[in-house]
Amino acid sequence: MLTRDEVEVVLFTLEVAALATLLIFPLGLAAALALARYRGPGKGALETILSLPLILPPTAVGLVLLEALSRHSPLGAWLAARGIEMVFTWKAVVLAMSVMSFPLLVRSARTAFEEVDPRLVGLARTLGCRPAAAFFRVTLPLAWRGVLAGTVLAFARALGEFGATVMVAGNIPGRTRTLALAIFHDNQVGRDDRAAVLAAVTAALAFAALWTTELLSRRLGRRPEE
Amino acid sequence: MIEIRVDVPLVGSELHVEADLPPAVTAVMGPSGAGKTSLLEAIAGLRRRARGRIACGDAVFLDTERGVRVAPEQRRVGYVPQDAGLFPHLTALGNVRFGARGDEGRVETAIETLNLRPLLPRHPASLSGGEKQRVALARALATSPRILLLDEPLAALDVELKERVLPYLVRIRDEWKVPILYVTHNVGEALALAGHVLLLRDRRVESQGRPLDLLSSPGLSVEAEAGIENLLPGRILGHDAAGGVSRVELEGGIPLSVPLAATRPVGTAVVAAIRAEDVLVSSAPVKGLSARNVYEARLEGLERTGVDVTLRCALAAAPSPWLARVTPAAVQSLGLKAGQPVWLAVKSHSVRLL
Amino acid sequence: MRASLFAILALLSAVGTGSPEEVTVFAAASLADAVEEIGRAYEKDSGNKVVLNVGASNDLARQILAGAGADLFFSADRAQMDVVEKAGLVRGSDRIELLSNVLVVVVPAAAPTRVGSPADLALLRRIALADPEAVPAGVYARGYLESVGLWSALKDRVIPTLNVRAALAAVESGNADAALVYRTDAALSRRVRVAFTVPAEGGPGIVYVLAPLVISRKPAALALVRRLAGPEARTVFERYGFRVLAPR
Repeated sequence: MLTRDEVEVVLFTLEVAALATLLIFPLGLAAALALARYRGPGKGALETILSLPLILPPTAVGLVLLEALSRHSPLGAWLAARGIEMVFTWKAVVLAMSVMSFPLLVRSARTAFEEVDPRLVGLARTLGCRPAAAFFRVTLPLAWRGVLAGTVLAFARALGEFGATVMVAGNIPGRTRTLALAIFHDNQVGRDDRAAVLAAVTAALAFAALWTTELLSRRLGRRPEE
Repeated sequence: MIEIRVDVPLVGSELHVEADLPPAVTAVMGPSGAGKTSLLEAIAGLRRRARGRIACGDAVFLDTERGVRVAPEQRRVGYVPQDAGLFPHLTALGNVRFGARGDEGRVETAIETLNLRPLLPRHPASLSGGEKQRVALARALATSPRILLLDEPLAALDVELKERVLPYLVRIRDEWKVPILYVTHNVGEALALAGHVLLLRDRRVESQGRPLDLLSSPGLSVEAEAGIENLLPGRILGHDAAGGVSRVELEGGIPLSVPLAATRPVGTAVVAAIRAEDVLVSSAPVKGLSARNVYEARLEGLERTGVDVTLRCALAAAPSPWLARVTPAAVQSLGLKAGQPVWLAVKSHSVRLL
Repeated sequence: MRASLFAILALLSAVGTGSPEEVTVFAAASLADAVEEIGRAYEKDSGNKVVLNVGASNDLARQILAGAGADLFFSADRAQMDVVEKAGLVRGSDRIELLSNVLVVVVPAAAPTRVGSPADLALLRRIALADPEAVPAGVYARGYLESVGLWSALKDRVIPTLNVRAALAAVESGNADAALVYRTDAALSRRVRVAFTVPAEGGPGIVYVLAPLVISRKPAALALVRRLAGPEARTVFERYGFRVLAPR
């Protein structure tokens, strides 16, 4: 079925995608909450910037990341001074996945937060909750479905991420080769049969992820009186 | 004492309220759009752009001049909005416990007061309007609030439900000893609960004072709804099973005959509810009438309320006047005038015991 | 595809009127600059148009097999031309082994790295190669490293890139410490310097193969083939650093 190398690719892909999703989770929720509640100037610009990775070609995003990490950029210089290498390592894979998946999480979570009646949050405050407590005890429990959907979507997107990843992490077997990159590589070297197998595996993983959300959302969402 | 000197920016205008309220029940009344809800929200701390001074006894919530603005979670204000605002993802018990900070004793007392035990495991979606209001009240009480802010708690309920929930409010007032600001359109509720009325109009204070004194205000009268208008506290004196009635003694020693309520032990405190429409008015002493309850009174005032006329009738020993509603034609044919003696008759059947 | 079809139709319908033809050339990445220069000269002389598609030869071969509309294929090794010939898209008798090249090790121009012998490569951390599994430049490089017994030691430090120009770019940007590229590529970049030249003898046998595709037998394509194999082109190739093989 799958060779040992291919199994490693699958596991590696799952690990980095999970790590990327974990990293963007708190940031994404914070951004989603800010967008849902903030009504001041600059909101439109902020929304647009956060959505850019969704519409830009992934290779363009990869290029931006490459520039940001290069030695003559402030971030790249900072990293180089500390001997931290990102380009062509698994860290760059996580970075590329994070950036590309971030807007998906933010969009879903934001819609979910917007649907929570803001008066309930105010009520929670009068009942003694500080703003953070009100978020965790009222907003999040009422918005969890949208947040979960956004998280799984982000994860699935990370699983399949290619354009930005190949630019900033390269397609190095055993180190940065994810499923998407492996499919590409197999096709490049004329091994379309293996490419097809890996493509099927990717599809199966994405399907499993989305199906789990469905199940969870239905099971946990059933109210006692239903 | 509750000090309020506050400016609250609203959409297109500003609410400006200056009032000192007693630490008891104050009915906040006035036409729609007068700013009643905004005032409650400002006191609760939910209006971030409010300026001025709000103090509840020793606790200062807002003092812009001294740079004091206390966050809502620290004001210990029990706010119950018009639609209860229960958290849909929690059971009734979860809602009541929400702000109690682990004080199970308080939670229990609140549950007892509002009679919530059978409702506890249910979710808000399965509760009726009246049940939701009771849960919301218990939720606010369980936080040991310094002050209760109730925004038209009975407005969304039909007459029957109103009559069922009102006694709980009376109970809260009597047993919990918490100052209450009670927004309502309903004169009867105000009379039943409040010792003080704050009248708002066009986002300003129009007047404040005793409920009786303000009754003649056109603003109040226009808003008076059909519904309960006479709410008379009293005690059960005894039961007459053969006669099919129970006897109640109202405040001031006034006897009242009500339909048999044998389940209530003698001595129980009750509130008798009589609709103004059900109070018959006669300009001469009444004899031979089937109605059990006949009283002599003095007509204090008449008021046009919608298409009818509301008569304010003072009974000798009663603490507040009774309201009777008649047609303008009746007023004319009886030649009713303020100051004249009248006789009121109420059938036992017209009395509901709350 | 449609472009060349239209060109053929245009040609057929304009007999003798000399309207411009379009010739599509799929060429290995390392040939980009040289073939472009030669192509432009041809365009000026013939009035025809040259469309150039450059990339890794394995990638190009794959595209041709998938039906891409190429008139000429200029591969950086025999293996990829074999792939196309095996699919019946090129006739063996039409193949011309035209050029050879030399592999070099490049490092960033400012780096003090010294590679006195191939063994010194073991001191470098990241070595960029065009994908050694299929891109000719990478295949040659790997072949060489295997022949000097260094491949197993170095293969974990290899960063495979899409084609040989990408390997060069990795060194230019400093993301790789060194790369094995053609001498012709190194010569084009001022941000790298040659640290070591792989000797031609005992090194990999680098052979660039040119052939017209069977599907397209348009006269302009064949004219371009003759041009590329001719004396003027030879001067250009040698200027870029290629070695022109003796004509067949």
